[in-house]
Amino acid sequence: MAQRTLTTGGKGAVARVPIDPPARHTGDTADTDVGGSFTLYNGSSGTFLPVKEGNDVMATVKFDQASRIYPGNDTPSVDRLDIDVADGEFLVLVGPSGCGKSTSLRMLAGLEEVNDGKIWIGDRDVTDLSPKDRDVAMVFQNYALYPHMTVADNMGFALKIAGVDKGEIRKRVQEAAGILDLTDYLERKPKALSGGQRQRVAMGRAIVRSPQVFLMDEPLSNLDAKLRVQTRTQIASLQRRLGVTTVYVTHDQIEAMTMGDRIALLKDGILQQCATPREMYDRPNNVFVAGFIGSPAMNLVSVPVTEDGVQFGSHRLHVDRSLLGSSGNEVIVGMRPEDVEVTTNEDGLELIVDVVEELGADAYVYATPANPDIRLEGVGDDALAKPFIARVDGRRVPDKGSKIFVYPNPDHMHVFDKESGARLG
Amino acid sequence: MSTQPALVSENVQAIENLEGGPARGGSFRGRRIGGDSWTTTFLLALCSLTVLIPLYVTIAMAFKTTEQAVEGSAFSLPAPFSIDGFREAWSLTDFPRAFTISLLVTAGTVFGTIILAAFASYAISRNWERRLFRYSFFYLLAAMFIPFPVLALAQIRLTGLAGLDNPAGVTLLHIMFQLSFSVLLFTAFLRSIPMELEESARIDGASTWQTFWHLIFPLLAPMSATVGIFAFLASWNDFMMPSLITSDPSLQTLPVVQSIFQTQFSNNYNVSFASYLMAMAPAIIVYIFTQRWVMAGVTQGAVKG
Repeated sequence: MAQRTLTTGGKGAVARVPIDPPARHTGDTADTDVGGSFTLYNGSSGTFLPVKEGNDVMATVKFDQASRIYPGNDTPSVDRLDIDVADGEFLVLVGPSGCGKSTSLRMLAGLEEVNDGKIWIGDRDVTDLSPKDRDVAMVFQNYALYPHMTVADNMGFALKIAGVDKGEIRKRVQEAAGILDLTDYLERKPKALSGGQRQRVAMGRAIVRSPQVFLMDEPLSNLDAKLRVQTRTQIASLQRRLGVTTVYVTHDQIEAMTMGDRIALLKDGILQQCATPREMYDRPNNVFVAGFIGSPAMNLVSVPVTEDGVQFGSHRLHVDRSLLGSSGNEVIVGMRPEDVEVTTNEDGLELIVDVVEELGADAYVYATPANPDIRLEGVGDDALAKPFIARVDGRRVPDKGSKIFVYPNPDHMHVFDKESGARLG
Repeated sequence: MSTQPALVSENVQAIENLEGGPARGGSFRGRRIGGDSWTTTFLLALCSLTVLIPLYVTIAMAFKTTEQAVEGSAFSLPAPFSIDGFREAWSLTDFPRAFTISLLVTAGTVFGTIILAAFASYAISRNWERRLFRYSFFYLLAAMFIPFPVLALAQIRLTGLAGLDNPAGVTLLHIMFQLSFSVLLFTAFLRSIPMELEESARIDGASTWQTFWHLIFPLLAPMSATVGIFAFLASWNDFMMPSLITSDPSLQTLPVVQSIFQTQFSNNYNVSFASYLMAMAPAIIVYIFTQRWVMAGVTQGAVKG
């Protein structure tokens, strides 16, 4: 990690701000070859797009103990949320439905009241500001394109309201349309566009304004699977090019993993963990995070604690006793499917193979414990029927119905407290 | 004449669609002609005769000469074709003046109804959880059940006191009486407009006022057309209210002027029918030209995002 650069929209000159990695959690925010694109553009600002002149304000976002309690509810929908988003960072809010991720985003947008705590954009306290004064742009799940306006009018609406003169609006709309490949559709109405094009118009509407923060509320969920994957990459790369701070909401952990510089995982209105995708995957804070991030999901098994570790079937795993400390007789051991050692020797947890999914190079083995008392912990409704999943070499797969033994790779195993679900060590 | 049955049956369809709300729009169109619907069509055609025959008589009579009108059968075609009836009615009733007053009253009513009802509906539908707004909606609806004649005496006194015993007062009262039904139509339509559109506009920097004018009002256009046409018909054709409210006969609207000169037409049927036809024509013309648009608006239903 040498010096990475982050683009900001400085007037005229190419503004490059060296970033000290420990100071931010931006992960791979800055793409060093962005620099090359500056020379292609002879416009007014440092990025490809018209960024507000003289707007050198750091557009950080800060949720400071922000809470939202809907009238008539006892429990808060968002409970003392604390997140810091760095300037130019792409933060993904992810979680199962009803976890408060959309509410958090709407609080940031000003569409939802903040009952307690504060929200900051840069050095401005926006907690009580109306949406129009926050300088944010939002892409809605259903795009919310104005149906009676053409694409160009849709994209220029915010500027028109702001009283920008017509020539400037046209110029900015043209630029954004060029980037999003919408130039041929500017005179069409939204209903004459395909789903993907509508999605791009919604993006364009946000881009044209060059706001301090982009807010995106599941913008890909109305697209078909193939387009979703394409658009995912496009949005992520566009965001890096523009360098605008972005908060993105999704329920899809793959989207979160692939797009975000950092991920904030929420459950029941409470932040579970906020970290880079890699850290999320490698060091989940608790059982919930462990089960939510990663596909196929992590295997989580309750096992008894022994003197110097835990007993995993017939396999003894050494775990530092001090880590296990106060936890009771059992802990939860988690391992990713790729970190499972599969053997036919009687060593480890005995499983019966149900299904083998051949993926070519690899195969996933879905198996259930031979001892019906052993239950796999898991997230979601189908916890009871949760199979144990192991990745094996595609050329050496066990037969269906056969007996196998598994134990975790000790370097990549996770131990969680049985009661609280918190990570141990 | 061939367009008339279609007009009538579409009218029925329009009302069905209105009652069913925008969500149901288009279900009627999808139905195949055949089987039961022939019976329906036949019955509708029969019903339409009750409108079409008098209309035919009116038109036929209007173009007859006085002699023909008195002697011939009411159903016979005019021969020779004469516009003397129109000429006489025109001068007798001072048609241009009455027409202008009718036009002003109606235009005022249509404009006022659309604007006021749209304002009220927007406020009500977006503040539904607040008691004041919810009750005001029911209050407006309740007004639908009170017919004008019941209130006539009080209103004649009140408008007289306020110096509104003139076309302006009539316009005002017309707007008031249209408001209930129009608010009902608008609120139903407003509920079908996704909230995200407004939220998006707010994030885009629009104030409530700007959101209304740039977003909501244009989206309401199909319903405004419907509301406008109802207001137009009610106002243009109204006889009772202007006749009671307006004190100066020279400021009367067309239908009232008709009635005032009824006696002077005596048995000159061609003159009276020509006069009716002239009064009726604008309403029919407006309807013929706008019904297609209204239908499109009503059946289009909810706005797709």
